[in-house]
Amino acid sequence: MMHFLEPEIIAAVGVLATLVAAMLASSRSTVPYWFGLVFSAAALARASMLHLSTHLYGGAVLGDSYSIVVTVFTLLAVMAGLLLAWDPDKYGAEFPALLQLAGLGAMVMGFAGNLILLFLGLELLSLPLYVLAASRRTPLGGEAGLKYLLMGAFSSGILLFGAALLYGGTGSMTFVNFTAVHVVPGLMAAGLGFLLVGLLFKLAIVPFHMWVPDVYEGSPTPVAAFMAFGTKVGAAAALLRVLAFGFSLSAAWWGLMLGYLAVLTMIAGNMVALPQRDLKRLLAWSGVGNAGYVLVGIASHNLLGAQAALFYLLPYGLAILLAFTVVRVLEGREESPVTLASLKGLAYRQPWLAVGFLVAMLSLAGIPLTAGFIGKFYLVRGAIAADQWGVAVGLVVATIVGLAVYFRPVQQMFAPGDGASGRFTVGTGVVLAAAALGTLFIGIYPEPVLHAVIQSARFTWLH
Amino acid sequence: MLAFGLVLIPWIGLGLFLLPKGWVKAGAVVLAGVEVLLFARALLAPMPSSLAVVNWNWIPSLGVHFHLSLDGLALFLVGLASVVTLAAVLASPNKQGPAYYFWILLAESTAIGVFTALDLVAFYVFWEVVLVPVFFLLGGWAAGPARRTALKWLIMNLFGSLFMLIGVVAMGVVHAQETGHLTFQLASLAHTTLVPQVAPWVFLSFLVAFIIKAPLWPLHGWMPPAYSDAPAPVTAVISGVLSKLGVFAMVRVLVPLFHAEMAQAEPWLMALAAVGLVYGAELALRQKDVKMVAAYGSLSHMAMMALGIFTLTQAGLVGATFYMVAHGVMLGGLFLLLGWYEERTGSRALTMLGGLNQSVPKLTAWFQIFALATLGLPGLAGFAGEYMIFQGLIQNNITVAAVAGVILVLAAWYMLRLFQGAMQGPRATGRSPADLTTAQVGLIGALGLLVVVLGIWPAGVTSHLPVLAPPATHALAHASHRKGGEPA
Repeated sequence: MMHFLEPEIIAAVGVLATLVAAMLASSRSTVPYWFGLVFSAAALARASMLHLSTHLYGGAVLGDSYSIVVTVFTLLAVMAGLLLAWDPDKYGAEFPALLQLAGLGAMVMGFAGNLILLFLGLELLSLPLYVLAASRRTPLGGEAGLKYLLMGAFSSGILLFGAALLYGGTGSMTFVNFTAVHVVPGLMAAGLGFLLVGLLFKLAIVPFHMWVPDVYEGSPTPVAAFMAFGTKVGAAAALLRVLAFGFSLSAAWWGLMLGYLAVLTMIAGNMVALPQRDLKRLLAWSGVGNAGYVLVGIASHNLLGAQAALFYLLPYGLAILLAFTVVRVLEGREESPVTLASLKGLAYRQPWLAVGFLVAMLSLAGIPLTAGFIGKFYLVRGAIAADQWGVAVGLVVATIVGLAVYFRPVQQMFAPGDGASGRFTVGTGVVLAAAALGTLFIGIYPEPVLHAVIQSARFTWLH
Repeated sequence: MLAFGLVLIPWIGLGLFLLPKGWVKAGAVVLAGVEVLLFARALLAPMPSSLAVVNWNWIPSLGVHFHLSLDGLALFLVGLASVVTLAAVLASPNKQGPAYYFWILLAESTAIGVFTALDLVAFYVFWEVVLVPVFFLLGGWAAGPARRTALKWLIMNLFGSLFMLIGVVAMGVVHAQETGHLTFQLASLAHTTLVPQVAPWVFLSFLVAFIIKAPLWPLHGWMPPAYSDAPAPVTAVISGVLSKLGVFAMVRVLVPLFHAEMAQAEPWLMALAAVGLVYGAELALRQKDVKMVAAYGSLSHMAMMALGIFTLTQAGLVGATFYMVAHGVMLGGLFLLLGWYEERTGSRALTMLGGLNQSVPKLTAWFQIFALATLGLPGLAGFAGEYMIFQGLIQNNITVAAVAGVILVLAAWYMLRLFQGAMQGPRATGRSPADLTTAQVGLIGALGLLVVVLGIWPAGVTSHLPVLAPPATHALAHASHRKGGEPA
């Protein structure tokens, strides 16, 4: 009965094993990193073999292909984070266990079917990240950690308040019971509102996004890479699940509201990314904009939109991992800030790194033959099928702004000049190659991935 | 498969990065040459459709087919792309690296993709990917404030095509809602009727994208800096091949999918193209830079093609399509000649030069042929296209035909002014530059031969073209609409 949770169980055992390994091994040993990588890979392998749909505890735990897709995406983010951080001297022996723990939180958010588990997953995701964000012992690192902790705790509190109101209104914690039970509309609306604020905060939707640039800039790059992909996967998955299972009957008003927020987020995120000089801040703002794209799919409140939102997480995740890998290589061990000017001449100094970065930017800009285009195409289709023409137009306007954002660094790369260069490690090389090839593969032949995502999103729309 | 081969082979250009430095250009010439040979194969022997067409179920989940076809409409534009690309590669300086040749070949591949695609999404994919190689060709190797030029090209074009993306998706979604079958095949979408509130906007989203890419007045802002900054072979590819994408797409996509909307908006479209015609010619007359005379002249010619298309008559559409091919060869050759001219004199200023016919007689002679072809001398390629477009215009709208007639006189004026200013008169400088080399004469001679062949035997092209005008029933409805009455 429990075997649909096996990937998560493997991951949880992996966390404990990695912790023990970190205690036993010397502080300079890569053994904990290997433990983390092997257990994550095993969980990934197990997850990709599962094909079933079931639930436990009256719908509190939902094991379906939706949660499997969320698990797979999260594990990809965890493994990429580990590979990027493959340097125990620098990041310490406890890094792998913390990162895996955060990943486990995102997975819990993927199968959570009631508010308790949702909150549990959210906190499991957030608490290790508070520590990791502050792990750079510089003023910027401290700022990042403190800001993330304060804002995160605040948003968790709001979410919890919303959950309490929802429980008060319906007498149930389980999503599927929300629509069936006789409801007190005002209380429910307030509860849903607070719940949404908590989740939108994690997803970094305008106007709940102010923490993102400082936290990404101050955090170690592997942590920022995981936050940009893994955290958004967890938050988007939970958001989609709670809205589709619990509130599909009131989709008219939250769909409209999220549509406005999506347009605002996409345009504002890309607009503010435009003048950024620090590459990590640019990627942070681009992450804000891209969260808006994901929200377009959720706001469409139809099956196509759910599929599109879930699918878009992967092209976005691969591209942002690719970009952070380039940052990681260029910043070197001393983590000097990477600006647009340090990209100058990169195409001639390190052509492979430049190719990887080019693929990332093309995908983020949504140029065809990269995964990003398929994602945007799908999102537009969801929005038009939902008759949300304004959202589709907003997406296009934001994408036009995004072009300038993503092609400026590319131009720098081909401009003559002396910028930074850095050395590949095996870890960064693997992430670069895998993410770039994945992006191109999905762009040229998206059918296998689309098929898996379409199968999984079917379960989100019960009504 | 042949259509797919034509699209695929330029990608082998990635291998150029592996070649030793001296072999890069030779490799690019081989690839571009193979493209011309494939076109010749398609032209000379009648093919079973299995050879000319690929139709793969590319992304079943999204209803997208990879449908390419070397049909009569596409065939000669594919030929144009392969010939002009080969000429541009041959005319490129030897010092260029593999990236330059790869981007030129990629531009060829994607242009051929746009010409042959019969699925709207496949069409859109090629339509957008073509921006990337040109972005690098403009930004990476051109002189001066090239980076801004490249960004302007990219953003203006993507502005149009991203709104077109909404139109593309809307066509598919509406078709799926009507028939329950998700597809983007042009043949199926042609039978889709959009609701009146949506139809004009979707039409507009396509139209604006096509106008920007062509470019047509008033959305030609990227054109002057791009034509001016790019090296001559790149300008030849952009003006010869890529500028045809926009007008070609009007024939391929707008006419079958939106003929009702086009007929409705016809007076406005005609007016737009007519203004562009006058505007381009007027500015060409005022330019002091030889390259810009040709660039604005080209803007005027694009408007001429658009006029032919907007007539929605068979003669106009066939004429416009023929003119695309002829214009591509003429302008490709003209820009190559101007590049050699600049190389020899070190200047592009019209007033500074003159009297070159004494020192470079070969260059002068070829320049004269291409200039005369461009201004529409009967017997050369430009005339046949303009004649058919006029036929369509006179059937449709005699006023615009009269305007276009006046512009033909202006066209003769600015081209002759260019020729006189650069080549004739007293010698402006004491230097005597070298004349064309034998290889250059061979190259431009081959293009010149094409100009003559197209001029005296246009039926070689037009007999291949399918029936392009909307069916007669629609034409009747259009006619009654124009008169403002109900159909009889």
